[in-house]
Amino acid sequence: MSQYIPVPVEIVDIDIESPNTYLITLEVPEEVHFSYKPGQFVMVSVFGLGECPISITSSPTRKALQLCIRRAGRITNGIMDSRVGDVLGMRGPFGNGFPLEQMQKNILIAGGGSGFATLRSLVNYIVDRRSAFGDVAVAYGARTARDLYFMQEYEGWQKAGIDVGITVDIGDESWKGNVGLVTGLLDKLRLSKGSAAICGPPIMINSVADKLMEKGFARCDIYVSMERHMKCGVGKCEHCMIGPHHACQDGPVFSYDKVKSVL
Amino acid sequence: MRAFLPGDRLKSLLTALGTHMDVVAPQLVEGAVVFASWKGQEIALQENSLLPPLEFLLPQRDVLFRYTQDSGRYSFVEPSAKFRLIFGIRSCDLCAVAALDKIFGSAPADHPYFDKRRSTVLVALNCTRPGENCFCSSSGSGPECQDLFDLLLTEIRDGYLAETGSPAGIMILKEHPDLFLDAQESHLAEKRDVLRNANSALPVREERSAANVRVAMEKADWDALGLQCLNCGSCTFVCPVCHCFSIFDAGVPDGERLRCRDTCLLSGFSRMAGGANPRISQGERLHNWYLDKFEYIPQKTGLAGCVGCGRCSRVCLAQMDRWSLEVGR
Repeated sequence: MSQYIPVPVEIVDIDIESPNTYLITLEVPEEVHFSYKPGQFVMVSVFGLGECPISITSSPTRKALQLCIRRAGRITNGIMDSRVGDVLGMRGPFGNGFPLEQMQKNILIAGGGSGFATLRSLVNYIVDRRSAFGDVAVAYGARTARDLYFMQEYEGWQKAGIDVGITVDIGDESWKGNVGLVTGLLDKLRLSKGSAAICGPPIMINSVADKLMEKGFARCDIYVSMERHMKCGVGKCEHCMIGPHHACQDGPVFSYDKVKSVL
Repeated sequence: MRAFLPGDRLKSLLTALGTHMDVVAPQLVEGAVVFASWKGQEIALQENSLLPPLEFLLPQRDVLFRYTQDSGRYSFVEPSAKFRLIFGIRSCDLCAVAALDKIFGSAPADHPYFDKRRSTVLVALNCTRPGENCFCSSSGSGPECQDLFDLLLTEIRDGYLAETGSPAGIMILKEHPDLFLDAQESHLAEKRDVLRNANSALPVREERSAANVRVAMEKADWDALGLQCLNCGSCTFVCPVCHCFSIFDAGVPDGERLRCRDTCLLSGFSRMAGGANPRISQGERLHNWYLDKFEYIPQKTGLAGCVGCGRCSRVCLAQMDRWSLEVGR
C-alpha cells in the first residue's frame, strides 16, 4: 500500500495550552501498532485542506498520543477548528528522533517558543526512565507567560530531579519568574557536561549552542531539531532539503556541527 | 535479440501494441514535438520534445488516492497505473529515468512512482538528430542509449534496427513476427555509422561537463545571478531530472489527494507556516538547484543530475549562461 495513505485517527481530547495553541490527544486504531521515539513527527491531514508536519509532543512511555498545534496556517487552523470525535488523517512517524543511544546521560534540554513542543516528549521520556539518565536540566522560554506550554507539568519534572528554568521575553505584574533569554537561564541551572537537545528559532539555537560550547559541551554532543516546510515526509518532494540532507528522513534532529552553516 | 523493422511498418507495430496498452509517442501538437497518447498521428522524430516524457511517471496531476467520507469515517482508494508504452524516449531522458528510479527508490520507495514505472514499457530511440542545445556527449548521457530500455531502435536506411533490453522487449519482437525481419550485419554497420555521425554532429561542450560546472559554481556570484534569473521556474519544469512536488487536497467531504510538480526555485517552496524561509533569496535557491544537480544527486545515486538535454537553455527567458555562470547583464 502507498505510503501516502493516512491512518484515520480520532480526536479524543483537546486542551488549551495557550491562546493560539491546543494540545490534542488522538486515538490510533489498535491494528495500526503505532510506535515512535521522542523527536519524531507525523504528517497530519484535514481532508479537503491538506497535510502538514506536526511533531509528537507526548512520550512513547505514555499511552496517549498527543500533538501540540499552534495556529500558523490553513491546515493548523483546520485542525484547531476540529472537535472531539472528529477524524483526522495521520501518516508516520517520520524522522530520526533524538539519538538517545548516542546521547550522554547528562542532558540539557533547551526550547524556545513552540519549539518546546517536541522537547516535551523527551522530557517526559526521561521522567519515566529517570534512572537511565544523569543530571538533567530544562531551559524553556516563551514570549509571554500566557504563551508558556505545559505549565502544569513543571512541578512533576522538578520532583523527578530535573532542574527546570523558565523565562519569558516580556514580563508583566502577574509573572514572578525570569525575564530574558533562554541563554540567560543556562548560568542559573545546574548544568553538567553532557549532551544537549535544542529546538527553537535559529537565533536562539545559535546563542544556546555557543554558550554550551563555552561551558565545555562538544559541538557534536549538541542536537538540534530543525523545522522545515515538508510535503511528503519520505524524502522525495525536496521541500525540506538542508544541504544534501532531508529533514524528514535524515532529521529533523541533527548534530549542531551538521547544520551550523544553515542556522 | 535483434531484428529489423521496415520503416513503413512502424505505425502497424504501434497500432498492434496499442490494442492492449496506452501507446505514447512524440507527435506534433500546434507545431511543437510533444509526447502524447498516440492514435495514429504522424510520429515526430525530428527533434526531442521540449517537455520530457517524465509526465507519464510523475504527472503534473497525480492522484495519490481518493477519500470518501461516510458519517465521519473515511475510506481511501488508490488508483492503479495503466499499462503504457513510451515510444521514442532518447538517451538523455532514459538517463534521467535512471536517476529518478534511484531517487524515488531510496527507502521508503515511492509507491505511486513505481506503480507507473513498473507498468511502463520503454521503447527507446538512439538519438541521431541532436538539437542545437544538446550536450549529452559532454555529460556522459548520450547520444547512444546504454541501459534501462525494453526495446531500443536505431533509425537506419529504410527502417529501424531493433535491439531488446528486457523480457518485455523480447515479447514485442516475438509477438509480431509478421512485422519484424531478421537483422543483417549490414544493419549493424549502418547503426555504427549513424551513431558516429550523431556523435560528430554534437558540439563538444566540455565547459558543460559536471566537473567544469562545479568549478564555475565555486566562482559564481549567486546574488547577481539571482537578480538576472526571472524566478519563473521554467528550467525546472522542462528538466527531466527535476522532480520536486507538492501535495494538496481537492474536494470536501469526498475528494482526491493530489501531487503536482513544484519547483525549488520559487520563494514559497521552503517557506514555513510561520513565515520563516531558509532560502529567502533567488540566488540561494539557484545555488541550491545547482548543488542538487551537480553534487547531491551524483553523491546519492552515483548518476548524473544533469543529463545534457539542454532544455533549460532552450526555455530560459533571462538567457542565463547556465554553464559558465557568468552574469549576462
